[in-house]
Amino acid sequence: MSSINLTLKIWRQPNSDALGNLETYTLDSISTDMSFLEMLDVLNEKLTKEGKDPVAFDHDCREGICGMCGAIVDGVAHGPEKEVTLCQLHMRHFASGDTIVIEPFRSRAFPIKKDLLIDRSALDRIIQSGGYVSVNTGGTPDGNSIPIPSPQAELAMDAAACIGCGACVASCPNGAAMLFTSAKISQLCLLPQGQVERKERALAMVAQMDKEGFGNCTNFKECEAVCPKGISIRNIARLNKEYFKGIFLEG
Amino acid sequence: MWFVRFLTSSIGKKFLMATTGLLLFLFLCTHVAGNATIFMSSEVFQSYADELHSHPLIVIVFSFSLLLVFLAHILVGLYLFYENRQVSNSRYAVTTRVVKNSFASSTMPYTGLFILAFLVVHIFGFTFAPHDSLISVTVKDLLSNFFYALFYILAFVALTIHLSHGFWSMLQTFGVNHPRYNALIARLSLILPLFFLLIFGGIAFYFMSGLGASF
Repeated sequence: MSSINLTLKIWRQPNSDALGNLETYTLDSISTDMSFLEMLDVLNEKLTKEGKDPVAFDHDCREGICGMCGAIVDGVAHGPEKEVTLCQLHMRHFASGDTIVIEPFRSRAFPIKKDLLIDRSALDRIIQSGGYVSVNTGGTPDGNSIPIPSPQAELAMDAAACIGCGACVASCPNGAAMLFTSAKISQLCLLPQGQVERKERALAMVAQMDKEGFGNCTNFKECEAVCPKGISIRNIARLNKEYFKGIFLEG
Repeated sequence: MWFVRFLTSSIGKKFLMATTGLLLFLFLCTHVAGNATIFMSSEVFQSYADELHSHPLIVIVFSFSLLLVFLAHILVGLYLFYENRQVSNSRYAVTTRVVKNSFASSTMPYTGLFILAFLVVHIFGFTFAPHDSLISVTVKDLLSNFFYALFYILAFVALTIHLSHGFWSMLQTFGVNHPRYNALIARLSLILPLFFLLIFGGIAFYFMSGLGASF
């Protein structure tokens, strides 16, 4: 086990209305086996002992499946490692003497609550606008009792892997939420249960997405590159098609 | 009104960009085919131009449709550029692009505006040229000027860069994205723009370098 010394530049902002700035901290002998969030825990412990305000950041499961954590590390959402959330990024990816700049996920639709903590309820409202599946699907069906071709089920599952962390929005040069919305629309439109409200759902979710103040997709592909769940922009192409079908037939 | 809602939505505006982009791309295909006759001889080129202008109705209808398509593409493009700048201006202290080869996608508005500047020069040079000389003479006169031809070649390079993102982006907007065809689309997004560069740029180079001195 080796340890490294780091200089951290972290965005500090007391509340939504305050002006924030980057503060510099130094941390010595950080174990390379620590996760990024554990490193921040060590910093917060140090700050608390010094009587200073600890850095506020979101986290929950710390095993990469809940979608709560996330920050921009040296300009990349969730840091330099591919297909992991911030909690699953380990300090072995950094070298002693590194300066790490940590900023919150930014978007016009993501107000900063405090430090690295952001309000991502805009994403929840997009999901809510999609509404419910209105057909009565009964209790939990037995495995394989609904015939769905395997490739179709796999595509739906790939889309359903989205944990709604917001990295796609944060990394998009235009702050668009297309990858998120497309994943949520794809996971339902690919399955039989999602067919009844298929068109309505596409229309409502896109309308809500635009209303929240997210930007326009210009196919930069940054979202796909930083997504911790590897959601493909093929979903965005599918969303476009779903939206066309919706607006031309039922809009 | 569903149609207004469609065109004011984020996806609708993209659809407008993609559709007008496709029409402009198809126009380029016809334009490159017509201009390629320059490489045959000045007589062939002149007879092609004469034949085209012997159908004034077609020329007028096409010119005005083309003007509309161009205006839509440019105005919606500029509007999107303005909207997106408001979201993205100076968001982070450190910005690292993860996607490699993102030059074309991040310079779309700039290559587009450069092509617009070229269009103005090109239309005033040829479309509104004094009608007392033959078009095959005008083309030689104008493009024999080194800097004029250089400007043309630079504009075609900008066009190539613009299309290398635009062609793929157009298909993605139309919902064409399938693992079976993605490799082909990626190849076409490179080959088609390079083909335009070869023919259009080749014409400018032909006169600029003096190869077409006896044209």
